[in-house]
Amino acid sequence: MLDYDSSPNRFELLYGMLLDAIPSSVLLVDEKLHIVSVNRNFLVKSQRGEARTVGRPLAEVFPTIILENTDIERRIREVFRTGTSVKGQRMTYRAPGVPIRIYYYSILPIPTNQVMLLMEDVTEQVRLSEEVRRVERHLASVVESASDIVLSTDTEGRILTWNSAAEKLSGLSAQEVRGQYFFQFCDSNQQQTVRKVFMLMKSGNESHTTEFPLVTSNGDGILVSWVFSPMKDDYGQTVGAVVVGRDLAERRKLENQLRQSQKLAALGVMAGGIAHEIRNPLAVCYSAAEFLLMDNISTEFRNECSRKIQAGIQKASAIIENLLRFARPSPDTEMVQVDLNTVITETLDLITNQARVQQIRIQLELKMRPILVLGVSGLLQQVFMNIFLNAINAMPDGGVLTIAEEISEAEVAVHISDTGMGIEESDLDKIFDPFHTTSPIGKGTGLGLSICYSIVQQHLGSIHVQSSPGKGATLTVRLPLL
Amino acid sequence: MNGPILVVDDEPDMCWVIECILRSQGYEVVTVLSGEEACYQLANRDFFFVFMDAKLPDMDGLDVVRHAHAIKPGSVRAVLVSGYHYHDDPVIRQAFDEGLICGFLAKPFTHSDLLKALPIV
Repeated sequence: MLDYDSSPNRFELLYGMLLDAIPSSVLLVDEKLHIVSVNRNFLVKSQRGEARTVGRPLAEVFPTIILENTDIERRIREVFRTGTSVKGQRMTYRAPGVPIRIYYYSILPIPTNQVMLLMEDVTEQVRLSEEVRRVERHLASVVESASDIVLSTDTEGRILTWNSAAEKLSGLSAQEVRGQYFFQFCDSNQQQTVRKVFMLMKSGNESHTTEFPLVTSNGDGILVSWVFSPMKDDYGQTVGAVVVGRDLAERRKLENQLRQSQKLAALGVMAGGIAHEIRNPLAVCYSAAEFLLMDNISTEFRNECSRKIQAGIQKASAIIENLLRFARPSPDTEMVQVDLNTVITETLDLITNQARVQQIRIQLELKMRPILVLGVSGLLQQVFMNIFLNAINAMPDGGVLTIAEEISEAEVAVHISDTGMGIEESDLDKIFDPFHTTSPIGKGTGLGLSICYSIVQQHLGSIHVQSSPGKGATLTVRLPLL
Repeated sequence: MNGPILVVDDEPDMCWVIECILRSQGYEVVTVLSGEEACYQLANRDFFFVFMDAKLPDMDGLDVVRHAHAIKPGSVRAVLVSGYHYHDDPVIRQAFDEGLICGFLAKPFTHSDLLKALPIV
């Protein structure tokens, strides 16, 4: 170790060491723009020896390209002239055989009529910040390119970002909505719920999933499936929320098509029962008409024949009307007040014939008063039709189909039980899966119960099954009461 | 001709039709609306002929006939009347092969079709 305490030029040594220890390049330049001294860092970075550097003009030491691009000579002269320092300028430097380096430099006047050129290598910081910017740009482009609505809010639910999909679907630009409360763009019936979700996210970790319409710029509502997730910082504090929404219009369209085709498949199953039921009144009419053609019949008998014909035609017509009503596509209309008992009895009318030909007794235990729910009656009818037909199919050798209602405070439960073969335990959790069927090929599509499931879910209800092999099955549909 | 004709159909108007046709020809007719009643009648009384609906709410028409054959072998002559089956239905052919029925009548039918199903006395 150097004993600089006793050295006469110990301060010079000390400052030389200090300068060499600084991880930045330090150059002293005189008025003629010659280099007076440099520290070690500069020599290392520029790959020059001290002899080829000190005493040389700046123009010889720095590559021409830097001199031209940074105009550093002019700047240094300016500092000599004004005595004001230049700070934080950027310089890109490539020494031969070395990757590009980026410096921030300052030119500082010092009282010895020299200037100090301080150059700091920021290559790594620049690279890092560029990397950060690149990741940010990438993330932003992910969000922007998503076809789903992606928006972020602060903890109060005020919109911070709003991607292109949100702009496109809502017709509202990011500028228009920024800073506004998200709930303002939600269906009026849902605003309270949305505010509550934001409240819950402040303290909770859970995501919230729901479906409700987004109100667009022209006041229309587009049904969207939403997922609200709290956004946390490194300390687990909620700093905002991310809301992702998917336009359900396309999905609803497909669902409707699927429901319709499944309904027509169900009609095929009912065909046998329908044939039987229509041919009875036809046979009565046919015979009664033949009686009318006979001579010598009494007026009383003639009248009776006419009445039978009329009644028979009416009966056949009623069966056809029921069928038409069922086969017709349900327009995806708004949910309205529906009496569940009417839905159930009208659906039963359609399958009574099928039940009869299979010697199935129907036991109906409905409440005497109307059971009001919010729903689309055509869709609910499809739910019960599928369940009834499944029950009937489970009893090829006859049995009892029981339909019972149970009312609790907020919901109605409809239990549909059969005395059929029951469901294997391994099949129980699969019965609501699309295309799951135990029927032979051509007998069932495996779509019936999955469609029931989606319809009931759309009605904010639930559907469950209970069964053991050989002991029949009970399906329970629960719907919120109005 | 031993006894009346039994008409079994769960649809009262169907019973009315068949009864009217048969009575116009001078036959005595008993009508019942279920399989169980039919079994009771067949067990306790002799019938000249039976018009049996194929699908009854409590039983299959063919099962009623099968039951009657078991109790009184060879004594039951029945025609199956149905809106559910058709002439060359495998079920119907099998019933013929088993000797359960001696005729099949699809709904709707003409009066002469129905009368032709009766045996010539």
